[in-house]
Amino acid sequence: MSLSEQELRKITLEAIEELGENATPQLVKEVVEKAVRKLEKSGQPSRVESSDSGRVILTSFGMNHPGIVAGITKALYEAGCDILDISQKILSDFYTMMMVINIGSSKKGLRELQETMNKVADELKVKIYLQHEDVFRYMHRV
Amino acid sequence: MPYEFEEVLETIKMTEIEHFDIRTVTMGISLRDCYDRNIEITKEKIYSKILKYAKNHVNYAEQVEAQFGISIANKRIAVTPVSIAFDGLNAEEFVEVAKILDKAAEDVGVDYIGGFSALVQKGFTNGEKELIKAIPYALASTERVVSSVNVASTKAGINIDAVNMMAQAVKKTAELTKDRDSIGCAKLVVFCNVPEDNPFVAGAFHGVSEAEVTINMGISGPGVVLDAIKTAGNVDLQQLAEIIKKTTFKITRAGELIGRKVAAMHGIPFGIIDISLAPTPAEGDSIADVLKAMGIEDVGAAGTTAALAMLNDAVKKGGLMASSSVGGMSGAFIPVSEDQGMIRAAEKGHITIEKLEAMTSVCSVGLDMIAIPGDTPESTIAGIIADECAIGVINDKTTSARLIPAYGKKIGDYVDYGGLLGKAPVMKVSELSSNKFVGRGGRIPAPMRSLTN
Repeated sequence: MSLSEQELRKITLEAIEELGENATPQLVKEVVEKAVRKLEKSGQPSRVESSDSGRVILTSFGMNHPGIVAGITKALYEAGCDILDISQKILSDFYTMMMVINIGSSKKGLRELQETMNKVADELKVKIYLQHEDVFRYMHRV
Repeated sequence: MPYEFEEVLETIKMTEIEHFDIRTVTMGISLRDCYDRNIEITKEKIYSKILKYAKNHVNYAEQVEAQFGISIANKRIAVTPVSIAFDGLNAEEFVEVAKILDKAAEDVGVDYIGGFSALVQKGFTNGEKELIKAIPYALASTERVVSSVNVASTKAGINIDAVNMMAQAVKKTAELTKDRDSIGCAKLVVFCNVPEDNPFVAGAFHGVSEAEVTINMGISGPGVVLDAIKTAGNVDLQQLAEIIKKTTFKITRAGELIGRKVAAMHGIPFGIIDISLAPTPAEGDSIADVLKAMGIEDVGAAGTTAALAMLNDAVKKGGLMASSSVGGMSGAFIPVSEDQGMIRAAEKGHITIEKLEAMTSVCSVGLDMIAIPGDTPESTIAGIIADECAIGVINDKTTSARLIPAYGKKIGDYVDYGGLLGKAPVMKVSELSSNKFVGRGGRIPAPMRSLTN
């Protein structure tokens, strides 16, 4: 289990508050390390917000031609992403595709993945957007 | 598929085609603990406090931008009104404070820092008088500092002495920044009923009742609303209001998500989301175009005020449903220079200051970014400010005036700032005198409706 920077920060702040005037950098470090170990041992799921679920929506559209899905999925595979759902529509020569992918297991972060996909998009002459799932959830689900 | 095709495409269309972006993420920082008898130490405290909280502001905002694919146009800072935090300073020292704010803003990479401000609706402290004196010099010697002064409120009435002082300050600022089309005036706004959590410049400051530090944000999105109205076609006004509401709901939800994420990254509380529709000079990002799409021939036509009122109300209703932290101005902005449609209407003579004044009685701010002839007398500027304040005081709403008496320019000339501030034609102002009225000084008493208890 890995803790987000945010959570570590919170634990640290709590530790500082608890130690009060006795807080020295060394002491804070020890307390924080202990707290993190304890959390990891108990296996208690950290309060990960849904934004850390790793689900990203990939949208792609452009003029249809063979190899678009192949090109995109190959890049996703190489980055270690898991495709959870995929759907596509073709209207005369124009194609639209969307995927729900999990980038939690990828070694690349969202930003790097966006850069990779920009290159793929240039090669395939289509548009590819990667956005965190939350933005769709917030806009379209009450 | 957890989302419909249409839903995903709608979001992509908003962000990629219709200019939907977050207009500003503004970090409010309290400076109330930064005063020291020694001005040098005061400056050091201000600088280090801003750096301490805001050093990652731009970086975090950019990370969130990438994560959600929605751009954040501006990252800004607002501080406690410096007249409150540093009441003991004199005018020269206030200019020094402005310079250190400017440097801090530059070093953390934000384009504007708000809070060179005073709240004088009922009267002045000595420090506040000094601050108002310092404003023209502060704006002329800094790039990023913006200033606002509240001169009226429903509870206190209109401080005409302050109105006169501000008219003088506006003229002086225009003169001191004459080399750049009097740009200082674009960074100076006079308010009535100013909100203390407004994230938009030039009126942004960190109110005295605010927490130590907070993140407020302002959404944009006239382009999105425009497109929704165009797509709706020929529907009646009730249905049109519904469409505007739904659209605003969606953009506000996205805005709130982004604001909360940025705040969470900083580990500081999220304050408010300001649901104002804010135009930019980009084509298609115009409130005037929205009003035209609603059915008026051009801004200034009969019906403009009604259309704006309906737009503003629908925006609020949609936004309120989307977020429980709505604040700031929350309405539609109608700046002239920052809106292509407004600029065109002004060029054609379709809108006048008088019509704009009527519109400000139903929209969120006031006479905004309006260039007027450089030789407009101070008393006339004071009269215009007083009129705006009267609308605000009586209707219990925020109003403001950001006028640019463009030094050396006359009707038909232009001021051109480029970027977000845009360009504006110099507009006609009534030549009748207000001198004797505003010259009386004193305070217009608070109206009946101030007695609500």
